[in-house]
Amino acid sequence: MNKHLTEFSDEELIKEYQDNNTPEAYDILVKRYKDPLMNFVYRFVGDRDICTDVVQDTMIKFYLNKDSYRSFAKFSTWIYTIAGNLAKNELKRRRRRIIFSIDNGDDERSPQIEDKMFLAPDKAADGEIRNEIIQNALLKVKPVYREVVILRDIQDLSYEEISEITGLAIGTVKSRINRGRAQLQKLLKHIYRE
Amino acid sequence: MKKIYNEEENKFSKMLKDLKDLPKIKAPDNFEYNLSTRIQNKNFGTVNEREPQFNWIKFLAPSAAVVSVIILFFIFLPSSQENNNQLLQQSKLQDNQSAVNNSLSDKNKLNSQQSVPSDTKLQSNSTSLLGSNNPTTRPRALSPLNDSRSIKLDDYISGSNKNQSNTNRGNIVNNGEEPSPYDGFIVSEKPDKKTLDRYRAVVDSIKKAQLKADSLKKVQK
Repeated sequence: MNKHLTEFSDEELIKEYQDNNTPEAYDILVKRYKDPLMNFVYRFVGDRDICTDVVQDTMIKFYLNKDSYRSFAKFSTWIYTIAGNLAKNELKRRRRRIIFSIDNGDDERSPQIEDKMFLAPDKAADGEIRNEIIQNALLKVKPVYREVVILRDIQDLSYEEISEITGLAIGTVKSRINRGRAQLQKLLKHIYRE
Repeated sequence: MKKIYNEEENKFSKMLKDLKDLPKIKAPDNFEYNLSTRIQNKNFGTVNEREPQFNWIKFLAPSAAVVSVIILFFIFLPSSQENNNQLLQQSKLQDNQSAVNNSLSDKNKLNSQQSVPSDTKLQSNSTSLLGSNNPTTRPRALSPLNDSRSIKLDDYISGSNKNQSNTNRGNIVNNGEEPSPYDGFIVSEKPDKKTLDRYRAVVDSIKKAQLKADSLKKVQK
């Protein structure tokens, strides 16, 4: 039975879970989406612990609100929408906490990327540091642009899927991706010198 | 259109390659275990809490309070104006009294010209007659209006005071002991027919009383 379920598509699995409340279907979907969602949320919020919490909350939301999924939508876009909304809420909450906290240090407010930004090119070429610089620059891009850039250029989703996830028109998605990329390129001008 | 976006992608090609090559973040090993534990314990945290929806009661309660305050304000505003009007009415009353006094004094003058000795008695009689009910003899309440500048009702009726300055045409609010030099707030009003008729009736009744008193005197003689 389980082997059979693993061959199911996402939409078939969610239908199975909705109709028969099969826990295995839910488990398979969690297994399929936990890593992509972790990657997406981590690139968006930049904190591993928060990212884990957000993805856990996404899965719980999916567990509690399985009936709110409609079969005409792709399961992937539905679960990405939930994760994206939770990640955005988390960002807002963090920002509020930063505003209202009295003894809040600068470390909490913004990632310390400035020092690494001005590393010598040979050092910047080092893979790990380079990835960290890119990640930190990504966090500096406006959230509206950051989300679509991550979905397109890191998660490799199509414009149509991004349009469904964000609820924006495809044209808007494309222009936002373009602006996001331009912002990111500007932030990473030390690495990408023409 | 596709070309434009392809060109844009070429522009960012290096960066896009790096973004794709970023290491994939994986969920921790205990992710599923923690998730199943949370579900079994029904520890849903803040996930189950719905975002606060728009609460009509919370919105309507303060707005109703504001509206009621505005309504009360408009209800009580005319009453405060009425209070102001009462003050004006008091001044009008004083004007009327002075007008009546003027007319009486004119009449007395005429009588004194006709018969001096009888008039002295008459005056004493008339004052005794009027004295009990005459409001002008009573001590006046302090008023912010200057009596010396009270209008003459007859002049006011005939319109002969039209050419006079505002200060001479009507009362001016006292500014301490000195009359206010500014008289721009006096509004010239057309006399109200009803009030004029009422004043005329009062004057006529006094005249009749005087005539009766005269006739009584003659009879006594």
